[in-house]
Amino acid sequence: MKKLLGCAIVLALLVSLAACQKAPATPSADGLQDKELNLFTWEGMFPEEVLARFEDETGIKVNYSTFDFNETMLAKLEASGGGDYDLVIADDYILEAVISKGLAQKLDLSKIPNIGNVNPIYQGQFYDPNDEYTVPYGAGVLTIVYNPDAVPIEIEAYADLWDPSLKDSVGIIANYRVINGMALKVLGESFNTEDLGAIEAAGRKLLDLAPNIRVIKDDNLQDDLLSGEIDAAIMYTSQVTMAKLANPDLKVVFPKEGIGFGVMAKFIPSKAPHPDAAHKFINFILDPEVSAECFEWLGYYCTNKAADELISEEYRDFLTLPEGFNEDMEMIRVVGADAEEVHTRIWTEFKAACGQS
Amino acid sequence: MDAEIKASSTAAPDPGEKPQGRKFAFRKLFSAATISVMPIYAFTLLFVVGPLVYMVVLSFLTRAETWGVIKEFTWSNYKKILEPVYLKTFYESLKLALITTFFAALVGYPFGYFMARLSAVWKRRMMLLLMIPFWTSSLIRLYGWIIIFRANGVLDKILMGLGIIASPLKLLYTYSAVVVGMIYALLPFMIFAVYSSAEKLDWQLVEAARDLGATPWQAFITVSFRLTIPGLLSGVVLTFIPSMGLFFIADILGGNKVILVGNLIQEQLMKARNWPFAAALSVVLLILTSLMIALYRKVSGVKDLEGLV
Repeated sequence: MKKLLGCAIVLALLVSLAACQKAPATPSADGLQDKELNLFTWEGMFPEEVLARFEDETGIKVNYSTFDFNETMLAKLEASGGGDYDLVIADDYILEAVISKGLAQKLDLSKIPNIGNVNPIYQGQFYDPNDEYTVPYGAGVLTIVYNPDAVPIEIEAYADLWDPSLKDSVGIIANYRVINGMALKVLGESFNTEDLGAIEAAGRKLLDLAPNIRVIKDDNLQDDLLSGEIDAAIMYTSQVTMAKLANPDLKVVFPKEGIGFGVMAKFIPSKAPHPDAAHKFINFILDPEVSAECFEWLGYYCTNKAADELISEEYRDFLTLPEGFNEDMEMIRVVGADAEEVHTRIWTEFKAACGQS
Repeated sequence: MDAEIKASSTAAPDPGEKPQGRKFAFRKLFSAATISVMPIYAFTLLFVVGPLVYMVVLSFLTRAETWGVIKEFTWSNYKKILEPVYLKTFYESLKLALITTFFAALVGYPFGYFMARLSAVWKRRMMLLLMIPFWTSSLIRLYGWIIIFRANGVLDKILMGLGIIASPLKLLYTYSAVVVGMIYALLPFMIFAVYSSAEKLDWQLVEAARDLGATPWQAFITVSFRLTIPGLLSGVVLTFIPSMGLFFIADILGGNKVILVGNLIQEQLMKARNWPFAAALSVVLLILTSLMIALYRKVSGVKDLEGLV
């Protein structure tokens, strides 16, 4: 009996495994009138209502499949040779690989009349210098958030986080390229320097920051800022949005040393089964009103200039760049294995130092 | 007649006879019983042995310039572990595991021991109380600790209400918080191991010792403790080994500032995209924990972990 049960369990496992393999929708030839759109991105990138409205207006059904990591997306796209999916949204650094591997197709801008709405500050980036393949969606801008009631100094730059008055009260995200990059910026270097000496120097600089660090974590860092566990933080843009909504008195600072940012952008895979539907969707989302709705919901910086003024007062402060914003902006890119090696080592040393103090 | 009997006996051997010859072994391979357990073997090969081999192979490969690995043999992943910063994570893991195991034994041994002396009804009730937390995800239980430890959290409010402290203790994201979380997570394993050992204890032996003039303490040391050492030892193994690998407690309650091997492996795998290094770290951790179990077997002379089987 037990053996039978064991067999049954194994069989059930195998069947469920096989079922897992068949997740993405199979491409179908709809002819010119695409009736389907296979969207592939992280969970929760669009409000339900927006997707429903798109389906109503165009008669195109949206099949939403999700991935957790950019790397998973790349692997799936490589496996299908750029097919299966019609529209993908992923992060900047992975787009470089997608485009260089020939997995994205050039956009037909004549089908996207709303393309002029895109904020040029987010265009012409390293992964797509001529904006041939991608259209930006949400942008993350690295800011410092702090509680002015609890912090005795005025924070204007990354370097202010080193101030002794912030002892044991700073929270940071667990993204080593961002935090190491912050130290690099304080030393006047680029986020993406391949100069191993400069990265080592950033590591030594970080050791001085260790006594001020209370917590390093990626999830829900805003809760610690709101509960008073920490007084200042470097966190992801969506977390900044949540923190500001809960406590409008918090201050958001664009650090003086220069701004780090990241963009998630849409692209159409090279062998997308329904490219027409994908173009329609891109154009639909670029509509200022739809965009404003999406960005308020997403909590990332708005990349649609025409939508900036439609974003409600409550959100505008921290979802749009200030008037006349013209600072040094730099994206974090993939660096070579040697630089990566030093980055992970100084990061491990830094975390250990945080635990000691 | 004689030949006929011989022929028939070789063709169909008596079931009581010892199996011999290739023919028989071959047939045995396809007997109903063997076939029915085949999926288990296949499952084990596929999902236990397979990944292990993959991990070992991976640990000798070179990481690619950006992502992925290159099929190029190297020792460098293992050499890198010898760098002080990475070696220290092993030291930190061992230290935390020792502290956790010590306190788990300190609390868990008496708990399990006295639990075994309870009446049958209370034993069942205690067992249920110990089991209930397992019905909830360990992550959720850890978030419970956050609510207790955080600034102006439950503990602060109670202590401040009683006038014991004046301002909030900053307990969350400290080493002590990690230790408490680890002990909390692993204590039941210690209790169950000691309990199952103490329950089998023949209390008449203790009574005999008392009759022969031993004080309660002497009786405990010479009889009860001696006889429950296997339980204590398996409890030690059951808390020590997992505490080498638990990384999310240090993450959540320690604010990521205590770096254990588990944290390092997770980070190298998920963030740094250095799969070969993560694999090498896992292999070393695996060897270390296997050594612990071998050591335990040698010391205790027990083949199976009590409380587990």
